[in-house]
Amino acid sequence: MKVLATYNIKGGVGKTATAVNLAYLAAASGARTLVWDLDPQGAASFYFRVKPKVKGGSEALITGRRALDRAIKGTDYDNLDLIPADFSYRNMDLELGEAKKRTRRIDLLIRPLAKSYDYVFLDCPPSISLVSENVFRAANALLVPLIPTTLSLRTFDQLDAFLDEHPGRKKQKILAFFSMVDNRKTLHRELVEKVTADRKDVLATQIPATSDIERMGVHRQPLPAFAPKSRSGKAYAELWAEVVSRL
Amino acid sequence: MATLVSGLERRAPFDREPDRVVERTIYDTFDWRLHAEGTVLEHEREVPIPPARGGRLPQVARPALVWRAADTGEVLGRIVVDHVPRFASALPDGPIAERLADILEMRALLPFVTVRDHQSVLRLLDDEGKTQARVLIDQATVLEPDLEPGGADGAPGPDASDGDGGDTGDGDGGDESDTASAYEPAHAAEPTDPRSPRIDPMVEVLPVRGYPRAADEVADLLAAQVVLRPADRDVVAEALHRVGLHPGGYSSKLKVRLDPASTALDVVVAVLEALLAAMVVNEPGTRADTDSEFLHDFRVAVRRSRSVLGFAKGVVPADLLDHLRAEFKWLGDITTPTRDLDVYLLTYDDFEGSLPDPIQPDLHPLKSFLVEQQALAHAELVANLDSIRYAELLQRYRSWLADPTAVPGNAPEAQVPATEFAASRVWKAYRSLVKDGRRITDDTPPPQVHELRKDGKKLRYALECFAGLFPAEDVAPLVKELKGVQDVLGDFQDAEVQKDSLRHFGEALVVERGPAAATTLLAMGYLIEQLDEREQRARAQFAHRFERFDAHHNRVRFRRLFAPARPDHDSPHDPPGEPSPGSGDSAEHAEGPTGAHDSRTSG
Repeated sequence: MKVLATYNIKGGVGKTATAVNLAYLAAASGARTLVWDLDPQGAASFYFRVKPKVKGGSEALITGRRALDRAIKGTDYDNLDLIPADFSYRNMDLELGEAKKRTRRIDLLIRPLAKSYDYVFLDCPPSISLVSENVFRAANALLVPLIPTTLSLRTFDQLDAFLDEHPGRKKQKILAFFSMVDNRKTLHRELVEKVTADRKDVLATQIPATSDIERMGVHRQPLPAFAPKSRSGKAYAELWAEVVSRL
Repeated sequence: MATLVSGLERRAPFDREPDRVVERTIYDTFDWRLHAEGTVLEHEREVPIPPARGGRLPQVARPALVWRAADTGEVLGRIVVDHVPRFASALPDGPIAERLADILEMRALLPFVTVRDHQSVLRLLDDEGKTQARVLIDQATVLEPDLEPGGADGAPGPDASDGDGGDTGDGDGGDESDTASAYEPAHAAEPTDPRSPRIDPMVEVLPVRGYPRAADEVADLLAAQVVLRPADRDVVAEALHRVGLHPGGYSSKLKVRLDPASTALDVVVAVLEALLAAMVVNEPGTRADTDSEFLHDFRVAVRRSRSVLGFAKGVVPADLLDHLRAEFKWLGDITTPTRDLDVYLLTYDDFEGSLPDPIQPDLHPLKSFLVEQQALAHAELVANLDSIRYAELLQRYRSWLADPTAVPGNAPEAQVPATEFAASRVWKAYRSLVKDGRRITDDTPPPQVHELRKDGKKLRYALECFAGLFPAEDVAPLVKELKGVQDVLGDFQDAEVQKDSLRHFGEALVVERGPAAATTLLAMGYLIEQLDEREQRARAQFAHRFERFDAHHNRVRFRRLFAPARPDHDSPHDPPGEPSPGSGDSAEHAEGPTGAHDSRTSG
């Protein structure tokens, strides 16, 4: 079982679209796949049309009062399951703070699923918190979408610094990639060129800014499910292939 | 069915998918490995439905292997392939192919039954448009094998040994809606013709994980429809049933019920009959070389039969016994070359993988050599199975088993009570093993170690064949301890035999390919070195394993269960003494040196 987390300190960078689309592609390739929508806003749950509701809420899951696998919902796609978001996840930080092994809690909770799944995607809320620290511990790789703006790149450096300084973290890979790229913008082109040349942990695949991706919210489906041949649909397929080759 | 669909649609927010017509071929291995995992594998070929108003046929999905959970219908995997390969290793790479390969191993995928199925699917949606349960309406007809009255009877694979059928599956309690439930129209009140290819329309409720209540609601809706009654089997199970197949009906384990109140002859005959049945059922697959396991199981049955015949002195008249033992030895001999090569081919990938990367390709000529040799050996094996000698053996053997007392001759022990007879044979085999085992040192030459392994096998077969006569909880731990010894001896013997064959193959390669074989020979030399190390490791472990087997508590157990009553000399503390003079025939039903390999695959 490989645990992949989509993460960025900054919100609105295409994090959830990445988790949903890559999880769909993983499942379509035959891998048993689970998405845990950790973001109380529940965007991933929305895309899968699953109500953002977990019995007992975040407290029951974090304390283990309710086994994680009882919260799993089958999506409308083969091999693809979801642990939905719940509004109570906004308190997850507090519950983790009270738990034993507070930074390893999520890791310990998903371990027992190793027999049932090949991939687990964790879709994290933005910001650095105890939740994200847990996610760093649990993940084999962090998928970090970057938008080609100076501010966004600055947060990437912040993440880097945090992971470098943070003791006891698991040895995970950082796989960053450019998202919402508009090649008509000179600044986008320049930034992408510069960063890809400087940093080896930035993947070659770029996800373009297209209206198809925005339409995911209308279709409430993963993009490759309704527009596999579109430009962004192909980009996600390439991204998934590149991620797999790096794992 | 149309009324049913519209009835359901009126009662709940169902979304109807376009109907599909699919031809589905159900695949499994001869020993039902996928069924045992609680799964169903089928090759689905969608047939385009002509539009009602004419015009072009619609596009359909490409043929694919679809792997499902048997209880929920949940799709575990889908692999797009036009044709199903015989072995999972030939499927396109991917996680599904890998998981299938882990389950199927060396066994071939066999097509068991093909149905043509008109499927309608209704999805129960919630207010988010999320599917919470599915209703599948199947109208299926068995296409193959032919079921027309008077049609061909030759269903592939295992026969309907309509046995326990204990896996209809409702029994595990708990959350009922986690499994699918099936219904069929009640108007089929008159018993449906079991030979008819038409299966009654069936309605199945397929739950979606995490939505148990929705599936329950749909099931309630269906149950309220008077036209329906619960069905015993789903479409797949019903189709298999129609063609006379009983999932789980074959296992390579020897299962025979023995009556402790019967006689030695009864027991010998009962066990031999079960073993003959195992030979017969594996013979077609052996002849066709469908996969290597048929021959393996055939050989195991032959070997066990030889062991039983070896125990049957005094129980079966000597003339007949000598004849049978000679003929079964012959059966062992004619099957050995093919099995040896099968084992090589099965382990070839490991062999190649154990070489350093750059020289791996050097070994390829060995593989093509092995493939050629295997084909030759197998052709010879088939010729032997076609021989008059084999036909006559079977005929004589069967008529004896049918009426064992009709054969004239002296059989003083035939009427001995079964348990006494079995105990004496186990005891003798045990003592011989212990005696020989205690003589083994680190310097004992390989042939002697091999002899010990044969002692062990004899004991193991005796324990297995006669297990039904003794309390299972007593015999099982002994078999387990014995297995510990046998595994080490098996490793030793495997390495020894494989080294030998590699040398032999090397010579043959040189004769056939000349100097071109040089690089292959070097690679093979590397393998021999590794085998040497394995052999040394096994030898190093032997003493420890044997000591465990020969521990006091095991000795007590063997003595208590199997030793003849000797009122004057009954202390369990006695180590087993020297065997009686007549028991030194350990080599008599010896096997070819290769019986060795079989332990790896015989489970």
